[in-house]
Amino acid sequence: MINFKRFTLDNGLRVLVHEDNSTPLVAMNILYDVGSKDEDPEMTGIAHLFEHLMFGGSVNIPEYDKPLQMVGGENNAFTNNDITNYYLTVPSENIETGFWLESDRMQGLDFSQRNLDTQKRVVIEEFNQRYLNQPYGDAILKLRPLAYKVHPYRWPAIGRDISHVSAVDLKHIKEFFFSHYAPNNAILTLTGKITYERALRLSSEWFGPLPRRNIKERKLPVEPLQEEERSMVIESDVPSDALYKVWHIGPRKSPDYQALDLITDLLAGGETGRLHIKLVREKKLFSEINAYITSDIDPGLMTIHGKLMKGIDIMTAEESVNEVVNGLLEIDETEEEIEKVRNKFESSTVFSNTSILNKAVSLANYELLGNPELINMEVESYRGVSAEMVAEAAERFFPSSNCTTLYYKSSRKDS
Amino acid sequence: MIKNLQKMQPPVFPVERVIIPEVKSFSLNNGVTVYSIEAGTEDIMRMEIVFRAGQVKELIPLLSSTTNMMLSEGSQNYSSEEMNRLLDYYGAFLNLAPEKDLAGVVFFFLNKHIEKVLELSRELLFSPVFPEAELNALMKKRLRWFLVNREKVSNQSIDQFFESIFGKSHPYGRQLREQDFEMLNPSVIREFHSAYYTTDNMTIILSGKLVPGTPELLNRYFGNINSSKKQEKDIKVVISSEQQKLVHIEKNDAVQTAIRIGSPTINKCNKDYPGLKILNTVLGGYFGSRLMKNIREEKGFTYGISSNVSSLNLSGYKVISTEVSPKNCRQTIDEIFTEIKVLQNKPLTDDEMAVVRNYISGEMVRMFDGPFAIAESFRSVWEFGLDINYFHILSEKILKIKPDEIIELARTYYNIDDLYQVTVGPK
Repeated sequence: MINFKRFTLDNGLRVLVHEDNSTPLVAMNILYDVGSKDEDPEMTGIAHLFEHLMFGGSVNIPEYDKPLQMVGGENNAFTNNDITNYYLTVPSENIETGFWLESDRMQGLDFSQRNLDTQKRVVIEEFNQRYLNQPYGDAILKLRPLAYKVHPYRWPAIGRDISHVSAVDLKHIKEFFFSHYAPNNAILTLTGKITYERALRLSSEWFGPLPRRNIKERKLPVEPLQEEERSMVIESDVPSDALYKVWHIGPRKSPDYQALDLITDLLAGGETGRLHIKLVREKKLFSEINAYITSDIDPGLMTIHGKLMKGIDIMTAEESVNEVVNGLLEIDETEEEIEKVRNKFESSTVFSNTSILNKAVSLANYELLGNPELINMEVESYRGVSAEMVAEAAERFFPSSNCTTLYYKSSRKDS
Repeated sequence: MIKNLQKMQPPVFPVERVIIPEVKSFSLNNGVTVYSIEAGTEDIMRMEIVFRAGQVKELIPLLSSTTNMMLSEGSQNYSSEEMNRLLDYYGAFLNLAPEKDLAGVVFFFLNKHIEKVLELSRELLFSPVFPEAELNALMKKRLRWFLVNREKVSNQSIDQFFESIFGKSHPYGRQLREQDFEMLNPSVIREFHSAYYTTDNMTIILSGKLVPGTPELLNRYFGNINSSKKQEKDIKVVISSEQQKLVHIEKNDAVQTAIRIGSPTINKCNKDYPGLKILNTVLGGYFGSRLMKNIREEKGFTYGISSNVSSLNLSGYKVISTEVSPKNCRQTIDEIFTEIKVLQNKPLTDDEMAVVRNYISGEMVRMFDGPFAIAESFRSVWEFGLDINYFHILSEKILKIKPDEIIELARTYYNIDDLYQVTVGPK
């Protein structure tokens, strides 16, 4: 049970506090409700570039990291399609420095041209390192625009085209900041060795004076229902063929979410997932195979991807994947297995919640979904998933007309 | 106009010296040592069972890691699938952990399932059957993983780096070849297992909110097994670094060049090690390090650059790692050497010294935050025959180290002529 208290400042900043005195540290998480889905299709990658700029100095503080290191703190951040999330941990006695740093950069950045130029280069190197200089690294760049036709999930957080990042100028950056970074568009969570009273006092002192801002209205196009199977073949100099299949699923808050998440565990959770047992161990078609759902707020994807063993025909491999997926419709075969994945979910939740940082990030995410109480209800909702619900979700989401396939083929003769 | 927030940082309180918890120990009936770390608020435990059965003990490449990975591939009483299904059913997590010096298993589980986990861990450690079909399947899979990993400049460069600094024939340095994946059979695996997975070569490290009666339970499952390590099996290859200090591996389609610069060095048993760790932090061990500032935050040449110092039982090494655009490779390397020279000649300012002291003190708090972190920290010194006192020495060193000593350490341990330089990328 994670006990927490919640309050909202006059300027709209939502604050959640969970006291845990088993640690000498405090975790502070600030979630901004802005992600790559809020980008102009002609200027993608800006939300993520912006995350980098947030460390380059703010109104009163020339450098973000140094004062935090000075108080024994550590920090990082990530950007995805939905959110930009910043977090730090620091020994409890020095948490006020965290408030100082975070409120100052919420107030404003120093918007230096030099910092922008450097961070553009860093982001381009990040793109090169993660997507171009890894075997199969570009698969996700090809897959998204195939699966999504209009919704901004069609590009990844790094951007649709890296030239967009090169083209951003300070004017865009300022505009982006003032239309997305504001107390009324953020969620602050504090977990660890901090009392509610101290959190309330420090939040009011440091974030209270910040003004509300006009947040750019979010008008996202709705992805039309996919009616026909889509596919693409690419050939590349990689050691073996790889298969990627995605299916459109519902939004994060849809009632099918937990069943779908458990489906991916049934399929590929650990050594005893069905895909692993049947296609890696028994048929020896794949050297590795994985399944997961995106936890996107808008309708997301379920993905299965695997790398093929030498000499295996990719169409044969795909047929076997489809067989396993269709097997989800057999209700009577599933009950004991569902108990297994429900138990595993419960146990992972217990382990995950031993970290104050995980708790801070989760609380912020559930608040964004509209109900932080969900953090204590999730295990129960997974417990409630039955074999019938699994079969229903499979029937609803996994017809081939809802599927997009990427055949990532090796151009080498000996693959 | 909004009211400006403060320009001044709120009061900085010195990071309180971390409270390093006591680690208790006891012996099972057969003499196996158990260390226990009682902490945490949830009814969960981490149990690590570790043997000196790492890569360093192997005569044939892949023997140690494969033996370890085959433990969960079937035992006298359970097939691989049954064993894994039970672990999953009870919500337990099993990590197989083959390393350079040690190998073993780590279980994370809910306390209520401790008996089931103990039974399964006894099965997989002491009654594995190493079936041939599973072994062949595993080796075929591992070959595919290897072929994919070999494409990555980061992997290629670190493999070459280890070969350069530890030598082609030592297990620390030997690089894998495709044919190595066809050399193993169940009988060599069995032999390695019976030589090294023995009770006189075994240690248990428990952490979490321990179940009352844990010692009795451990005795019931492990205390009556007696097996001894075959000492003569240890191999006698000495570490001998390669002559060639500069190695470039050509990979013309690479978008970035990987750089690895470093050399063999002292390990935790040496009294200079805590100081070297601090020097390493200054050079490339945190976001505010000299290398991060110069190569990433000033020049924008890379997504990340870091330096590391690591201990091995028979040696240690330090390595600076980064990936940069090929056109910036030369300048990056020059800058790395420049930063080392600056550390050898110019004392740190009080300001930087304070940041580093406080940052590492904070890191130490994180290293002891919660039962599992404590267990990992303890293991990292136990492995070298040291005890938790190492951290008292380190924490003392963090408070007391002077800029002069850092210069001295940089001169002693970062002699530029001793450094190996490996690059993988276009010509």
